[in-house]
Amino acid sequence: MANVTATAPATERLQLLRVLGPAHIWALGVGIVLVGEYMGWNFSVGKGGMIAGLAACWVAGLLYTCVAMIDSEVTSTIAAAGGQYAQAKHIVGPLMAFNVGLFLVMAYTMLEAANAITVGYLLDTVAGMMGHTGLNQKPFIILSIMFLAWLNFRGVLATLTFNLVITAIAFLAIIALFISVQLGVSAVPMDFSAITTAPLPYGWIGIVAALHFGLWYYLGIEGTCQAAEEVRSPARSLPYGTMAGIMTLLIAATMTWYVCSGLLPWEYLGQAGTPLFDAARVTGSAGLMVLLFVGTMFSTLASANGCINDASRAWFSMGRDRYLPSWFGAVHPVYRTPYRSIVFLVPIALIFALGAPLDQVVTFSILSGLLGYTFMTFNMVMFRRKWPLDTIKRGYVHPLHPLPVIVLLTLCAAAYFAVFLGYGTQLSAMMCFYIVASLWFHFRRYRFVRRGDQFTMPWPKPAGY
Amino acid sequence: MAYQPPKQGLVGQVFDVITLLVLTVGALYLPLYLGFAGAAKTPNPIPNPTWEALGQNATEAKQWAAIGITDPAAANDIITARFDYSFSWAPLIVMAVLVIGYFVLVVRLSDREYREVIEERFDPKRR
Amino acid sequence: MDIWNILEYVAWALSAMFGALMLINLIRIDTTYDNELLTSSREGEIEVTAERHQI
Repeated sequence: MANVTATAPATERLQLLRVLGPAHIWALGVGIVLVGEYMGWNFSVGKGGMIAGLAACWVAGLLYTCVAMIDSEVTSTIAAAGGQYAQAKHIVGPLMAFNVGLFLVMAYTMLEAANAITVGYLLDTVAGMMGHTGLNQKPFIILSIMFLAWLNFRGVLATLTFNLVITAIAFLAIIALFISVQLGVSAVPMDFSAITTAPLPYGWIGIVAALHFGLWYYLGIEGTCQAAEEVRSPARSLPYGTMAGIMTLLIAATMTWYVCSGLLPWEYLGQAGTPLFDAARVTGSAGLMVLLFVGTMFSTLASANGCINDASRAWFSMGRDRYLPSWFGAVHPVYRTPYRSIVFLVPIALIFALGAPLDQVVTFSILSGLLGYTFMTFNMVMFRRKWPLDTIKRGYVHPLHPLPVIVLLTLCAAAYFAVFLGYGTQLSAMMCFYIVASLWFHFRRYRFVRRGDQFTMPWPKPAGY
Repeated sequence: MAYQPPKQGLVGQVFDVITLLVLTVGALYLPLYLGFAGAAKTPNPIPNPTWEALGQNATEAKQWAAIGITDPAAANDIITARFDYSFSWAPLIVMAVLVIGYFVLVVRLSDREYREVIEERFDPKRR
Repeated sequence: MDIWNILEYVAWALSAMFGALMLINLIRIDTTYDNELLTSSREGEIEVTAERHQI
């Protein structure tokens, strides 16, 4: 571990360590998300057919481009470990901040659980191919969570450098598969006849329904903000890393759709557990199979790793402001990580990883993310209203305001409808959860919070207050 | 005078964490236990399946074989399964009201708290 | 008892080890350092020291 050399200085205050550069931000953003290319996105093909899958890929890409632009502006101005949580606290208000904090923790912890489930599933598949049936997946699920939590516990630089390496390998694996298939390595040819024979098996509503899992291609890219207190130059690195990340993902998502749709019958693809690995199996090339196995493993680990990083930052920030018990707001004196939050979230992730089916966990994660994107729309409008462009210096100003906000809000509404088709009960259960939690915060928890101290940015008074 | 929050003891902290945990786990597992969860696809298997009858051409049949499914009967359920997207308006309206109502509630209560924060933070007497 | 069974046991053992490492370190730190110091981090300190928001 390279970063344990830093010891606690003699100053009175412990802060997180500021050691990260733009490449780490890219690794954090893409690392969390790239797993979406290795599993999960293909359920969108199941929900609407091949064309709907591609439409969902690009529409969701547009949604996330808006998210990245909006987020870059706000976060390059509010650099705090809570990310969107700190944005909400400064721009909308404490209760909104509490909710956004919960969105973040939920979205990332559920995603982490989904990743661990996938690790277990993939090992089971490989064991099955090697003639071993009935592999006990539990120890591998637990091990992946434990190991990554330990890595996060030990320090952020090593954690995200590790992420950078494995994310890059997973990304290159997709490109290698794409190029090999183009060069005709595959034993079975590409086949896109389903595009003409079954273009839209569910009709147009299938495209909307597919959007539900189309989000999975990119879900979590906004997590780059959580590193704000650990980046050497947040105003520059955060927008740069986030934008580079979304471009990487748009490329990877389109290539993934192309290779998988060509090599797998859409009916199979629509329910596959590990689509890219299956595509490699179809090519019949042992080298590609090993490469894509490694890619799948690395992308799930990178994602779980980034999720632990982000969820613990959000939990830590809420503890620091006493939105949650202040015990969680502790920084490790040697490793300078939010160590109590990291340890606390381990059993939570395990509960979900060992107890719930994958699509439920994924839906919960997507819904929390979606609520967060909805928040970003009015957050952005309020940000520009309360602090017009000439009042504070922004690290990045996104163009064409308010067009991205309108596009984002429209797409969010479509995505809610997509989730409603089939997962309406979960959506309602989840809304009830957030409503009860909000009332609990407003009427009970908020009395432990210092009022004026929550506003930590050296900004002028907001317009209209 | 700035608001001074009470100090929370250990028992209170633990209690608050448990409350949140129960809420979270409840929200995830209640729909599961009550059996509401999941948009299961329903397979409509056809009798005497062949690759042609299932709408798979020769290349696709090879692809199925490459992922370990050589018998069309084994793919029957996977290929014929479809989602049911028929929906009624009542639950859609309930959902829309829940989502919109939730955001309105949160933003309004937040604004009330926010005014207090701004007042205390930018109060010239306190600074 | 093939390689996968052995891997299962190895995974159990490693999980326990990483869990124990974290817990022991957490307890050691919590008993060595004062809680006031550990929870002394405040949001926005970077802003005050490093970044100015004036035009």
